[in-house]
Formats: sequence, structure tokens, C-alpha cells
Amino acid sequence: MIEFQSVSKKYSADTLALADVSLNIGKGELVYLAGPSGAGKSTLMKMVAAIERPTSGRVTVNGQDIGKLNKAGVPFLRRNLGLIFQHQRLLNDRNLLANVMLPLIVTGAPKAQAAERARAALDKVGLLDRARVLPMELSGGEQQRVAIARAIVNRPQIILADEPTANLDRAAADRVIDALHAFHSAGVTCVISSHDEQILDAGARVIRLEHGRLVHGGAA
Amino acid sequence: MNIWFRQHRFAFGGALATLRKAPGSFLFNVLVVAVALALPFAGLTLLDNVRPLSEQLSVDPEISLFVKPGVPREEAQALAPQLQQLLAGNHAKISFVPREQALDNLKSQSDLTDVIETLGGNPLPDSYVMKLEGFTATAGADADRVDLLAEHMRALPGVDSVQVDSAWVKRLAALLGVLRLALLLLAVTLGVVVIAVVFNTIRLQVLTQREEIAVSKLLGATDNFIHRPFYYTGALLGLCAGAVALGAVALALRPLNTAIAEFARLYASDFQLAPLSPLAVAGLLAISAGLGLVGALLSVQRHLARLK
Repeated sequence: MIEFQSVSKKYSADTLALADVSLNIGKGELVYLAGPSGAGKSTLMKMVAAIERPTSGRVTVNGQDIGKLNKAGVPFLRRNLGLIFQHQRLLNDRNLLANVMLPLIVTGAPKAQAAERARAALDKVGLLDRARVLPMELSGGEQQRVAIARAIVNRPQIILADEPTANLDRAAADRVIDALHAFHSAGVTCVISSHDEQILDAGARVIRLEHGRLVHGGAA
Repeated sequence: MNIWFRQHRFAFGGALATLRKAPGSFLFNVLVVAVALALPFAGLTLLDNVRPLSEQLSVDPEISLFVKPGVPREEAQALAPQLQQLLAGNHAKISFVPREQALDNLKSQSDLTDVIETLGGNPLPDSYVMKLEGFTATAGADADRVDLLAEHMRALPGVDSVQVDSAWVKRLAALLGVLRLALLLLAVTLGVVVIAVVFNTIRLQVLTQREEIAVSKLLGATDNFIHRPFYYTGALLGLCAGAVALGAVALALRPLNTAIAEFARLYASDFQLAPLSPLAVAGLLAISAGLGLVGALLSVQRHLARLK
């Protein structure tokens, strides 16, 4: 489903974010991407979402070569991904329902249908009763759960969660991880990056990066 | 088709929502653009009213030939065959106007009877009036031919002066030509101003909505989806400004017409400035919206390209 073949990424002549990384993530897998800050986890995630392109090597997502994907094809690739960011990136001038509806609205889904599915997604993360409040009225953990609802509302094949528990207390972090595990159990491929070793699930596959190099877990 | 229509409806709604968020700013921009549009619209209204007037005036040209004072009547009448010879090949009606008849005409057509009586004698010369048919006074080639004929007539013996009566119509037509060109240049200049104002308005909106644009892109929004609300905002801004400018011009016609009526009465005319036709209004509104759209298009192309 996700394949990296000898992928390197240079931001400048002296900044090597990824160095010759090869890995495979199969359909329905739960994968933790571990490593300290600056290890290249975010760069790897960005390549899967075609936010960054490899300097060399090949990245394939759902059979699509990211390096060869044209500009018009990027939105359609992203519609099959659920993206969760460290800083949730919710729109603060819109209520939770409107935020969660957005991935459906951009695809041209009817408003009523988008609202119905957004309410269902909010219900799954336990925030339906707060659908009409603004993101700023929520705690960090709750905001991250809204971001999860937004990521799963368009029923993606892959969820990419980049440091979803950073800045959260342990209880809030556990709730976020539990929510992601629930979606993985429903068959969604989940890639969760974190520098926090405590959240790693002992039973799950761990891919470890250090200084842009893969040090563990590249093969499925 | 349904998705296309829904996305446009969403974009239009998005544009309206943005305007509702900052109505003061939108109104201010509408006023700035309206001021820029009002000038060419007012000029167009004026030209639109004057054009038929000048066309109506550009009738068959008339040449008046005045005989020198003191030239005997027989000599004056002897000019007729020479004039006929000059005008041979043209459809022309030649009338000899004796000085006595000219004085009678003047007395009957003006309120100057008392003034004329005080002169004692008849100051008017014998004259000829020649009406040329099949000519257009404002057409270049015809006008040149009329001028040439007048030049030949001036060279005839006993002729004091020759006046082409349509000369002022030519001048008016030339003046209207200059005004039309000036209006076009003004319209182009102010069109650029409108585009610049809309360009800047959209630039500020793009900056304000930077985060929303970035998030939408990450969630799978296409460029068209992101651009459309800005296009609608630009077109709406142009449309509203066009409507305000046309309204202002229409309102200004009332006091102008009061002043014009008094002036026109002096010339026994009932000339009034009429508002533009509905078709012209629709055209100008479309142009205004189009200018707004162009401003938005340029701004979006320039500023959104910078957002990754």
C-alpha cells in the first residue's frame, strides 16, 4: 500500500532529511514511526501525502508514484488519506461540525450528506454533543479527537497521524491512541509517528528512524 | 453536473460569507471602485445623448456665398451660371437671395426689428445659398469636396466670402471624436484602477484565509475549489460597484437636466440627457463584473501560487 524504495530527501545541500530509506507498509497495518525529533518522521509522512517529493528514489502510495504525480492528481490522492497533525490545524472560525464536514465539502458532496457523516464521525470520537462549539472552546485532547473525526469522515484507506499526542497529557494521549486503534480495527491502515516511546503499542510494528536513516522495521 | 453546480453554489456562498464577515471593508472597496467607474459611465451617458444629436445635424451641407458690397445686381446675378458650372455633376439647389429679401428674412426670424430700423439702410449683401444633396458634412471625402468647391467659389470675381454652413457640424463631429477617444483612454485607465483595487482586496483575503486554504489543500481540495470563492468575490465587488456608479450617474441626471433645460430653452430646444438604455446598463454591469473577475483572477494566480 505504501512503498519507499531507496528514498532520499534533501532540503538543501547540507540538510539531508531522509537517506536511502526503503520500507513497505501493507493494507490494514498499524505502524508506529518512532525516533527522536529531526529523525525524518514528518518528512516521510509528508511524502506519503505528496506534500514533499523525494530527491531520489521512489515513493508509491496505492500504486501511484508520488514523484510522477502531477499537480492535478494530488487532491485526489489526498482524498484517500486521513491526515492528522501535531497542531490539529482546525479552522477556528468554524464550529466542529463545519470543520469535520470540510473534507467532504471539497469533494462536492451534498451538504446534508456531509453533515450527516460529520455527525457520525464526531459521535465516534465522543464529541457529537459539542458539534456546534468552536475549536477554541475545547481542550488539546478534544481538539485532536476532532482532527481524528475530520481525518476519518471521508472513509480513507490510510490514516497518517504525525505526532498526534504531542502536547497532550497521558490520559488525553491514551484516548487519541485508542481512537486510532479503533479505526485500525475497522480495517484502516494507520501510520502513527511519535517521538514518545511510551505510546508505542508492544504488539504493533515499529519503524525506527534516526538522523534520516532507517534503523529498524523497514520490511513488513 | 450536480457536483459542478454544488461546488459553484458553495463558492458563491463562501464569497458571500466572506463579505458578511467584513461588510465595512467590502462597502469601502465598492465605493472606491464605484468612483473610478462613475467617471467613464457619466462620460458614456453624455456621449450617448450627444451622438444622435450630431448625427441629426450632419445633414446635406449648405454653402452660402456673399457678394461684395456695392457690386451691381446684374453682376451679382451673373455669378449664377459660373456657380452652376462649378457644381456641374453634383445634385445642388442654387438660390439667389437679394439683399432686400435677406433683410426681410432677418426681420421675420428674429426680434431685432427695432435694431435693424435704427440702422437706416440695409447692411446685408446679395447672396447665394447652395444646398448640396448626397453629401455628408462629417464624412471625410465629402467634406473635402465641399471645401474644394468653396475654395473655387471664393476665387470668382465679386465674391466677398464663402461660408460652408456645415463646418460647425464637422467641428462638433471632430470634437465628439476627440471626446470619444479621451473617454476610451479614461475608461482604460480607470479600468486598470478597478483591477488594481480588486487585486489588492483579493490579496488581503488570500492572506487572511491562508490557513483555511492550506488546510483545504491538505484535505484534497482542488485549485479550482480554492480559487472559485475569490473569483466570485471579485465579480461581486465589480458588479456592486458598477451598480452604485450607474445609480450615481442616474441621480446626477436630474439636477443636470434642470440646468440643461434652462440653457436649451435659449435655443428653443427641449434637449435633455436621457439615462442609458437597459441594454447599455446590462452591458456596463457585465463589464464591471468582468473587471472585478480579471482583478481577482490575476491576484489569485499570483498569490495562491506562493502558498504551498
